[in-house]
Amino acid sequence: MNWENIVSKRFSNSSQKQGRILGRFSMVGMGVGCFAMIVSLSVMNGFESLVHEKLKGVEGDIRIVGQIDEAELIEISGVDEIMPYMERRGVIENGNDRRVVSLKAVDIQKMATFYTFPIRGKSPLVGEVVMGQDLAYRLGKDVGDDLMIYSPIDQSFGFGLPPKMKMTISGIFSTRVLDYDDRYVYLSLEDGNKLFSRKTGLDGIDIRIASNTIISSVKSKLVDEFGHQVKIQSWEDLNKSLVDAMKMERLGTIVILSLIFLVAAFNLVASLSLISIQKIKEVGILKAMGASPISIQKIMIRLGLSRAGKGAAYGFCFGVILVFLQNMFEFIPIPSDIYFISALPMVLSPKDYFIVILISFIIILIASFISGRKLSQTNIKDALLWSK
Amino acid sequence: MILQAKSICKSFSNGKNKLSVLSDFSLDVKSGQIITIMGQSGSGKSTALNIIGTLDHPDSGDIILNEKNIQSLDESELSVLRNRDIGFVFQFHHLLPEFSALENVLMPQWINGKDGDNLRATSLFEKMDLSNRISHLPSQLSGGERSRVAVIRALMNQPRLLLADEPTGNLDEKNANKLIDLLCEINEDFQQAIVLTTHNPHVAKIGHKQYILENGSLSE
Repeated sequence: MNWENIVSKRFSNSSQKQGRILGRFSMVGMGVGCFAMIVSLSVMNGFESLVHEKLKGVEGDIRIVGQIDEAELIEISGVDEIMPYMERRGVIENGNDRRVVSLKAVDIQKMATFYTFPIRGKSPLVGEVVMGQDLAYRLGKDVGDDLMIYSPIDQSFGFGLPPKMKMTISGIFSTRVLDYDDRYVYLSLEDGNKLFSRKTGLDGIDIRIASNTIISSVKSKLVDEFGHQVKIQSWEDLNKSLVDAMKMERLGTIVILSLIFLVAAFNLVASLSLISIQKIKEVGILKAMGASPISIQKIMIRLGLSRAGKGAAYGFCFGVILVFLQNMFEFIPIPSDIYFISALPMVLSPKDYFIVILISFIIILIASFISGRKLSQTNIKDALLWSK
Repeated sequence: MILQAKSICKSFSNGKNKLSVLSDFSLDVKSGQIITIMGQSGSGKSTALNIIGTLDHPDSGDIILNEKNIQSLDESELSVLRNRDIGFVFQFHHLLPEFSALENVLMPQWINGKDGDNLRATSLFEKMDLSNRISHLPSQLSGGERSRVAVIRALMNQPRLLLADEPTGNLDEKNANKLIDLLCEINEDFQQAIVLTTHNPHVAKIGHKQYILENGSLSE
């Protein structure tokens, strides 16, 4: 028999008008806090996962820097696809205009399946390049135009000039991630071998892992297998400052939105304090019958949980329903030319559910504890003499 | 011996004025004994009962209840002691207004961590002639009925000591007599020690020992 539950319910039901109104306010406050936190976290998650997908679409899930046997690599469980590459800082020459770019020579057979970014035009063949749309715009070039590219570091000793190659733009890609669209030019490995004459082999291999596989587990397998001879980095390692910035932003959002909870908690303290005053005599009676101060605390905490907890639960459910409906019907639009998607992305993870529930629970608990503490220490004799 | 109160002193201060209510108050209560304490209003009867019942602390002196000095107990231990060993009947009944008569009566057992002995409660309601009032709220009961419900509540955990603070003070003569007969019956049936305060000499006569509280101490 959990008598504290029964008492808290009766106290809640019998509290006078003012107590009920304040109780509703604290319920609404907690609900709004929970709702705001669920929605904000889901939107942040949505955009984060979008950025993650974009980054992975350009760089793969894991990068191996160094030379290893490709056949051995593909045998590792979890490795789905590999993309060998050579990379050099290079120059694009367009008349008198020269621009420093990153030249990335890749296996052009695999390019269409490995990279997920959209290409206007087609993947390059030998003698062709694909470049970012910002770079093309700056150069005033479009699909089908020609340009000269060379790698200054690869100048031959005999003539003192690096080999230049005339290439045709076969496609223009758009990642809209960091400065990739302004920096990268993709070409075939064959052309790369000619341009990067001082390189003795591949710079590394980008890896895409199988779906439903955890990147860190594949990475640790790779480290176990090849860690002694090459450098292995996940996409998160490669973009550490961006990932850290997003984590910091997320933390900031949680802290700021917790302030809504805090305001609701003040309301809850006020509401419970009012009930405390209304119920001093009853508490005195209970204590005279042998109720311990801890039991009185429990009653107040349950009262707090039943009021604000109910609000938090409603807010939580409404938030989750909104996320679910947005994912189903995409009824909240965003300008696709800015965000490269047409609907507000919303993603919720179990970790977020846990964070929101934990924060609301802790704040309700603290607020209830504060208001219950004084009541639990009420002098019985004074409480019995209390008149409302 | 169930209760020993030794040289209890208690005073209240209001700014510079200090009012001594109990001075050298001593009382021994044996099992099955009815003790009545008579005194005028403001003589300190309720204060004495509150101190004996651990609802208040004395300035000095010792209370030994069931061979335990209550001064050495912390708040949680005192709560357990109040729940198991002491039953209170207050002048103003002090029933919980949100709970039915039956729930009020079962509350001490719930607090004790038990499910509540409905059978015992029902038989006590029958004994007190309140069978038809079991599910009524205190606001739906008369003064006499509330007092009797308060007596049932005090008896539910079968405490060894029942403290009744002017239980008839708020009742008419008929109901007062009924309640006093009931307390005597309870004393005979359950062998519970009863300490009862009153300013009514008629009520005081039921005591095996009758005391008068004057100038803060007891005299027979």
